[in-house]
Amino acid sequence: MATVTTPMLPRRVHNALTDLALVGPATLAMLCLIFVPAVLVAVLSFTDYQFGAKAFNWIGLENYVELFTDRTGKRAVFNTLYYAAIVIPCSMILSLLVAMGVHQVASWNKTCANIFRTSFFLPVAATLVAMATVWEMLLHPTLGLVNIVLDMIGIGGERWLSDRKLVLTTLAAIGVWETVGYNMVLFLAGLASIPRHLYEAAEIDGADRGWERFWTVTWPMLGPTTLFVMVITATRSFRVFETVATLTKGGPAFASDTLVYAMYREGFIYFKAGYASAITMVFFIFVFALTMLKVVVAERKVHYR
Amino acid sequence: MRKSIIAAVAGSFFAVGMAQAEETTIRVHYAHPNIFSKIQEKLAVAFEAEHPEIKLDFDAPAESYETGVQSLLRDAVANKLPDVAFAGLSTWRILEARGLTVPLDEFIGDEAAFEAQGYTPALRSLGQYNGKQHALAVAASTLVVYANPELVERAGGDMDNFPTDFDGLIELSAKINELDRRIEGAWVSPHDWRFQSFLGSFGGRPLNADETKVTFDSEAGIAAATVYSRLAEEGGMQFYEDSVARQAFNAGTLGLYIDSSSLMARVIEGAGDRFEVSVQPFPIAAEDKASVYLPTGGSGMVMLTEDKAKQDAVWKYMQFVSGPKGAKIIVENSGYAPTNSLVVEDESYLGDFYKSNAGARVAHAQVANYAGPWYAFPGDEGVAVTDVILAGLIEVIEGEDPEEIIKDVAAEVRDSLELN
Repeated sequence: MATVTTPMLPRRVHNALTDLALVGPATLAMLCLIFVPAVLVAVLSFTDYQFGAKAFNWIGLENYVELFTDRTGKRAVFNTLYYAAIVIPCSMILSLLVAMGVHQVASWNKTCANIFRTSFFLPVAATLVAMATVWEMLLHPTLGLVNIVLDMIGIGGERWLSDRKLVLTTLAAIGVWETVGYNMVLFLAGLASIPRHLYEAAEIDGADRGWERFWTVTWPMLGPTTLFVMVITATRSFRVFETVATLTKGGPAFASDTLVYAMYREGFIYFKAGYASAITMVFFIFVFALTMLKVVVAERKVHYR
Repeated sequence: MRKSIIAAVAGSFFAVGMAQAEETTIRVHYAHPNIFSKIQEKLAVAFEAEHPEIKLDFDAPAESYETGVQSLLRDAVANKLPDVAFAGLSTWRILEARGLTVPLDEFIGDEAAFEAQGYTPALRSLGQYNGKQHALAVAASTLVVYANPELVERAGGDMDNFPTDFDGLIELSAKINELDRRIEGAWVSPHDWRFQSFLGSFGGRPLNADETKVTFDSEAGIAAATVYSRLAEEGGMQFYEDSVARQAFNAGTLGLYIDSSSLMARVIEGAGDRFEVSVQPFPIAAEDKASVYLPTGGSGMVMLTEDKAKQDAVWKYMQFVSGPKGAKIIVENSGYAPTNSLVVEDESYLGDFYKSNAGARVAHAQVANYAGPWYAFPGDEGVAVTDVILAGLIEVIEGEDPEEIIKDVAAEVRDSLELN
């Protein structure tokens, strides 16, 4: 039968063509939509191209030198690292706690657990820009609920988004609020996949208190999930943009300027497309290297079943 | 029989073809739909009634002048520019710098005759660069003081004797600030345009006339920055984002809100029944009134099409919008001041409007007396340096020495613009 269908082509060639037909279109689309633009951005980063201009000059590495020596450039890099340094650990610890709590609640009341799960997941499902407006109202220095409550218990309020020393921490707190729900779902999936008999075994071996159970069974078994959550949270916090753009526009006085916002500001407000491309490249290398490092190094140390 | 049908069909095609040849469609771009969508609709209806041979086709409006320029530049790269655009009075030069705008001098022809149609030199200057007319202003706004009369009077101020100088304003701000822990005195943004207004009030300029020297660290510039410093130190002003200040003013917890007159309709609407907003002129500080200018925000039209027939249609549209009939529509539906002097001089256009809008008269008189261009810094770093100035002034508000900061900022701006 098989010989009848392909009299002209040997089987191997036929299979190869089939593979190509299946993989080809997607590969082509990826090349056109991701790789070619990425290469163009890389090329632009060595020019002084102005958005909309008819010509440009090659300026070598000048854009990169500016990013790492210029005051605003350095500040954007530092601010991004500071933001990530708060969001990554806080979001992971909080979401793990919430997930374990919800997991426990689920063992005695499913409905209650569902309500918790939904409300923690709500920030993920809601549009962040709309939510940012809600935050703006809550954090308003004189009319916001946060300061009014603080005022009532006798602690003076703060200018959460207008104080240069506070603004990044405030944005990071919003960042934690935004990512906890997402991470919780991931941790919940991880927790659900831990076989019950491991806990029983631990109990027989004497690890019967909550803390011991956590360290001997839960935490090691969550290794792969934790790694995944870490990578996701890191990339998400490195590309923080919406809250900055809607709440502070990088201000006051560049105090909340982050890499991706700087990219937008330079490219689309200042029209310095060349410089914005250089920031994009640095950001890309940043996230790529980080992801690779974590995956390659951490994967060897992560406990797999 | 068949022949006659063919002839009839051919004839009707021919007729359709003729009609299309007579009718010109022009594509229009504008920004800020929250202010302009209703105005554009009314303008289009009135214009098409007067010129049935021209049809207007609107692009989806851009959220702001900045995003508007972005989309125009993208269109330029893709060779899909609209025929005419409404740009910000500070953003049209970005289009001019890339050679996208068509100079209007050829269409204006005789300058004296043009001036007689209500286009005064001060208002024409808003769209001129290097001796050429690139844009026609159609809506103008300057900085005004929005006051909450209840707070002013509670603090012992007198609305009939409202301060006309900065000393009085700072003193009033301090008094209002003392009223209650949650009530604040005055607020003004340190943003580029606002600072240029303070600078102009003291008779200073950001750059010299041929744009080869940075001059905002002059005595006038230091005086302007000092007002910010005193507003903060003596008047109790703190730095906030614009929206935060506007919410506070609407809620009645901010006494004096200093911002663009284009926001007038929204500010009055925001205050609602809580209090009656009073609009006061921006203080003029310089002794020599001739040296004073208030940078003018607003909207101007630029011609973008290269097609001769479309250029003629666009020019008719521009004349209509910037003429008295267009100005009347724009003024009555926003807080903008007219950019055509005929509409102000002739009571038949806006007489009734002024009777019920006292604040508008304040803003319009200010534009008529002191309108000047909103300086756009030249070159690739032109927009970027405005953020440097803004950052410096935030430091002044937070207690740094105004003279020192303004000199540092000027030095940094000189470096960026390569104007040493």
